[in-house]
Amino acid sequence: MRKPCLPIIAFVFLVAWLYSCQQQPARQQSAVFEFKEKLSDYGFFTGALKALTPRKGVVHYELSTPLFTDYAVKDRFIVLPPGTAATYTAHGPLDFPDSTFIIKNFAYNNPQHQKVMIETRLLFKDPADKKWKVMNYLWNEQQTDAVKWIMGKKIPITLLDDNGEKVSTVYQMPNTNDCKRCHINNSVLTPIGPKARNLNFTVAGQATGQLQQWAASGLLQGLPATDVPQLPNWKDSVHYTVNQRARAYLDVNCAHCHTRGGDAFNTGLFLEYEQADSSHLGFMKEPVSAGGGAGGLNYDIISGDPAHSILLYRMNSTEPGTAMPELARTVVHKEAITLIRAWISTTAHQ
Amino acid sequence: MKRYVLYHLLMIALIGSLAACTMRKPEDVKGYKIRLSFGPGEETKIAEAFLSIKDSTSIFLKAGKYRFDNLSIAQVSHIKIEGAGPDKTILDFSAQSQGGEGLRVTDVKGFTIAGMTLKDSKGDLIKINKSEKVFVSYVHAVWSVSDSTTGGYAIYPVMCKNVLIENCYAQGASDAGIYVGQTDSAIVRYCKAYKNVAGCEIENTSHAEVYKNEFYGNTAGFLIFDLPDLSQRGGHVKAYNNDIHENNERNFAKAGSFGSTWGVGNAAPGSGVVILSASDIELYNNNIFNNNSCAISVVSGFFIDPNAAAKMNDHYDPIPKDIVIHNNVMIMADTFPSAVYEHHTGKILVAIAKQLKVQDPSRNKSNLPFIIYDGITSNVLTHKTGPNPDNLCIKEQEEDLFVNADALRMQTKKWRPYTDVRPFLCNQL
Repeated sequence: MRKPCLPIIAFVFLVAWLYSCQQQPARQQSAVFEFKEKLSDYGFFTGALKALTPRKGVVHYELSTPLFTDYAVKDRFIVLPPGTAATYTAHGPLDFPDSTFIIKNFAYNNPQHQKVMIETRLLFKDPADKKWKVMNYLWNEQQTDAVKWIMGKKIPITLLDDNGEKVSTVYQMPNTNDCKRCHINNSVLTPIGPKARNLNFTVAGQATGQLQQWAASGLLQGLPATDVPQLPNWKDSVHYTVNQRARAYLDVNCAHCHTRGGDAFNTGLFLEYEQADSSHLGFMKEPVSAGGGAGGLNYDIISGDPAHSILLYRMNSTEPGTAMPELARTVVHKEAITLIRAWISTTAHQ
Repeated sequence: MKRYVLYHLLMIALIGSLAACTMRKPEDVKGYKIRLSFGPGEETKIAEAFLSIKDSTSIFLKAGKYRFDNLSIAQVSHIKIEGAGPDKTILDFSAQSQGGEGLRVTDVKGFTIAGMTLKDSKGDLIKINKSEKVFVSYVHAVWSVSDSTTGGYAIYPVMCKNVLIENCYAQGASDAGIYVGQTDSAIVRYCKAYKNVAGCEIENTSHAEVYKNEFYGNTAGFLIFDLPDLSQRGGHVKAYNNDIHENNERNFAKAGSFGSTWGVGNAAPGSGVVILSASDIELYNNNIFNNNSCAISVVSGFFIDPNAAAKMNDHYDPIPKDIVIHNNVMIMADTFPSAVYEHHTGKILVAIAKQLKVQDPSRNKSNLPFIIYDGITSNVLTHKTGPNPDNLCIKEQEEDLFVNADALRMQTKKWRPYTDVRPFLCNQL
């Protein structure tokens, strides 16, 4: 009995083993996307890299109200794969096709009025998993190229602010996790800036609106003829009220974190432009987890009393643990302080 | 007969082969696919490893002192950060120049940190945001000084699911040493917290168990809070077999830092356990001794904010309900801690004690009873008059056990706090 059974057992075992192991899903074979080592490797620009002269298909764009980063001079570009277009969305960023790059370059004006490149940030929509990926590139001292740099860096600089005044600071280039903090909502990494409403304006010196130009050239589909929402230009006191300008500024500078699903979801302070709940906006709202950052003050905003409003206090600080936003700001944005102070002083309780 | 044997052999072979296939991937169960190890002096490499960390990685930090600006891990799964022990592997964040915390963990499914000390960050020491299956073990989170310059929270999981904090130690937090916020399912056990404003705080957190901890030398030992305007309501919290003692220190939360109305700035020096607006709480078998203002207080949102009703919604109910307090051992000194006289809530406690004496000159104790209830019940919302509409249930052995502070009438001539516990005695226990 025993002798003839052994080969049978072995055979059965082998078949069963092969069968059960085959049930496991095969590994995905698609090539894993890797960011390139140098900014120049992508061929986004032509001529001297520092000039940021875009090649065909690399589209420069501007925002109605931009994010403040230490008076940095920013250049923004979008690169869509040939033959594709972004799709209009009324809320949130435009819906970009797979393999889109969004490029944001950071530089500063030095006291000799030269533009000094610091870093270039890339967002890429990976076709493998439809997810956005982030990478940072640090410009070299010769200003000839930028290299992949995940670590972040503290860079001592002396810049000229918007009034041409000298400011010395230690610029904080974010690391790749810092990038994710602002770009993640509900665990999904997403672009922040290129929302239709913040792109929907006519860039100075041009004849037609930015979005209309994109639609006309086939870069954007689904743009409605009317009723495209528009975020106020926070500096435009001719066309917009203090309230509109302040809310636009808070939307762009704060609301990527201070929103449901954002990095500051736990605080209950939500600063989106469309937020209507006065408590979520901070009016007579006590802080939840501000730590010493609240500066001994009790409410995020007290109407008519900017001096005792935590929101202004934190915008006006550069101390870690107090300064807001927590990342990418080491100097006080004086013009914004003036606006937000005026807003808190004059705006009635919503 | 032969077919029968074959059938059995086939089954055995199948089971065996399945086991073999499973065993080929032990890392899916417990182990880690990538294992890294670093020593002191390799801080740059470590920070880089954290930033580029892949799913299923463990990082071992050898004994020694490390200096970091800050560290972060985001959007990965199955991660373990391990040191040689809290006395051996020390992470010093005193150089921090940006950001809100020393170590920040965001969106990690399966995160373990064990066997190390984190100290002296500018903001929080270790913040774990939106993560699942979080295990913090043998971690000491310490500020060298205990004053208003320190960060808010030492160990700070928030908006997480399934958190276990055990054998940890927190010191010096200007908010809470161990703080679990807006989280579903948490256990805090075998931990110690010393010299914080709050030793441990469970805030807007549901299904938490807190047991066999020691919270001592803080302003307040243990807080269970629900605050308005947050992502979820807390409740279903059990706290038992804890030692909560000598929490009599001054409240060094930066004046108003956490709101003069809400938050830990409110905790009176000398508080053992404070339950604020939270419901479905069971507090039992704890040793609560020498917290010399009040062993246990149960208060509503109205106690600290007359507008609390305006903030009511699915996520917030200011009235604490279904609070069960039984079989604790409570001891208190005869005198208030000196710090209580300087604190806004502390002054209210002192006023209640004074009023009780006025009403009953035979009270020779200057102190308050062990349990304070603000007496603000859902009757204020329903306009009913039931004696215990919110099921506060007390079963304790101590004498001079209870005072209903009658807080709504505190500013009026009709104010009469009373010490009759009978409406609140447990019927079922």
